Amino acid sequence: MDDALSATLFALADPTRRDILSRLARKEATVNELAAPYAMSRVAVSKHLKVLERAGLISRGKDAQFRPCRLEGAPLRDVAAWVADYRRFWDRSIDALDDYLNDIQKKKRRRT
Amino acid sequence: MIDIQATSKEEPIIVMTRTLDAPRELVWAAFTDPKHVSKWFGGRGFETLVCEMDVRPGGKWRHVMRMPNGAELAMEVVYLEVDEPSRLVWQNVDHGQRAPGEHPSSVMTVTFEAAGNKTKWKLVARFLSMADRELANRIGFANVIAEGNDRLVELLRTL
Repeated sequence: MDDALSATLFALADPTRRDILSRLARKEATVNELAAPYAMSRVAVSKHLKVLERAGLISRGKDAQFRPCRLEGAPLRDVAAWVADYRRFWDRSIDALDDYLNDIQKKKRRRT
Repeated sequence: MIDIQATSKEEPIIVMTRTLDAPRELVWAAFTDPKHVSKWFGGRGFETLVCEMDVRPGGKWRHVMRMPNGAELAMEVVYLEVDEPSRLVWQNVDHGQRAPGEHPSSVMTVTFEAAGNKTKWKLVARFLSMADRELANRIGFANVIAEGNDRLVELLRTL
């Protein structure tokens, strides 16, 4: 797995960061807006935002004062596409295997 | 749908089971012969570009797929146990070499149990730690996350 993917997984492993993402999924927000509901300092929230930004999960606006945060979908899609050894991969694969086994058995029966 | 269990409190495992409507020898072949495996592995939307299998203990299975988004995905695993037609065990070639929490790698044990003309398929993914198991579990939701922001909101709440 490449480093970008590792960064995304690391970023997603923390519940506060997932909560921030779910809020940004609805609309952009400034650091102050994001920090408001948490019992942690603005600095601590900024640290979480840095992790998310490094993972490419959010981008920050240019406005020097507010720098609103915006959710970026691409790394999430990459995580979704990362499929080695976990359940959804197998769920989909075994569905396909089941269809395939049915197909080849039907063909065999037709031949005999 | 396969039946999936990831709730064991004692062991860092995810267990998946499914009954397949085919005799065991055929299911074994479907798992160990590249000409079959390349037809189903990855599921719908995934195209196999390379499938090389050396099915014996210490042998490797190298698989390259094109994902629905066009990117290529490569995996390489090594077989630990091969017991035709009932049991296969493999792990990623880099299993255990990455930092915990960075990449939830697991040892995969697949068993095939004959049940008349059907086969009970079971996969046990054993992770290095409970934390890795939980991470793998969460990532399992990531496919849905990608489908849209509304669902992302819902899902992130359930993680």
